[in-house]
Amino acid sequence: MGAAQAKQQQPDNSSIDALITLSDKLKQNKTKNMSLTDVIGVAELLTSSLQPLLRQIDSTIHTELRGILLRIEGLRHEIAKVRADDISENKIPEMGRELSAIVDATEGATNSIMEAAESVMEYDGNDIEEYKNMVSDKMMHIFEACSFQDLTGQRVTKIVETVEIIEERINLLCEMLDMSGTGEEAPKEELNAKQQRKKDLLLNGPALDGEGVDQSAIDELF
Amino acid sequence: MAIDNAMPILIVDDYATMIRIIRNLLKQLGFLNVDDASDGTQALERIKEKKYSLIISDWNMEPMTGYELLKQVRAAGDTARTPFIMVTAESKTENVIAAKKAGVNNYIVKPFNAQTLKGKIDAVFGE
Repeated sequence: MGAAQAKQQQPDNSSIDALITLSDKLKQNKTKNMSLTDVIGVAELLTSSLQPLLRQIDSTIHTELRGILLRIEGLRHEIAKVRADDISENKIPEMGRELSAIVDATEGATNSIMEAAESVMEYDGNDIEEYKNMVSDKMMHIFEACSFQDLTGQRVTKIVETVEIIEERINLLCEMLDMSGTGEEAPKEELNAKQQRKKDLLLNGPALDGEGVDQSAIDELF
Repeated sequence: MAIDNAMPILIVDDYATMIRIIRNLLKQLGFLNVDDASDGTQALERIKEKKYSLIISDWNMEPMTGYELLKQVRAAGDTARTPFIMVTAESKTENVIAAKKAGVNNYIVKPFNAQTLKGKIDAVFGE
């Protein structure tokens, strides 16, 4: 606390003395009518005695507001580091594009493999040499199609890296806002009709290893 | 009801690849009279047009899920007893129980092979 601030927060003794004097005077003359001069004097005394208090309140509020302003400025500066616009404009759309590419690649590869397998299964000729060449050719198609695994693997790696960047930035934001480890329960997510329907009627998709129940456990229910 | 390789079967799945896989597995098992639909709503249209001996349906589909399709199939008089096998990627006991309560005849977890499919079809038809 600075010297000036400390001085401001000290009680103003002269005002208090004046108030005590006024109080005594009013007690002594409580049966007499007060003159206009007395009333003005009381008003002056009250005003002057309140001034230090008002100054003190004003100074405290000012200090608090200044602190809040500095904190907001600091947060704005820190939030800028999170680069939320980069996440929404670049990172997430990029992940969407990568995931779409993965879906397309796996679908394309699956179709190629299935076409090759179907061709082999559907062969109804009698020429062994022709059949052998056809099988060899289709197997090569299957090998080629399997190269999707390398490409999708690289795409998945890119997605994982992007998710890690987003995670890092969210953690940074949580730290700045003192949100981590508060133990506070997150507000309940509000779902629209479509999301609610999905939640109620659709399943979550494939379970991870060790989760869910296997076919033999299901068979026991039938 | 006995298994007849010529019996009409309806596959319901929103993934064309999955339909193709099941179709090929059925073909391998000797079932060639197979139609498909991409969700419950389309399946109901097919069912109105043709009487199927077996429905093999995915659960997760939009706009009508396999579970909703199952309930509608069971609620309709002429399909109330049509054999219905649910095929899903997720296997939670509560879902299996819900499907069983709704009248499903059997339940297969993806991925599965021809032998599993055959086993379920045999079980449904009591063979």
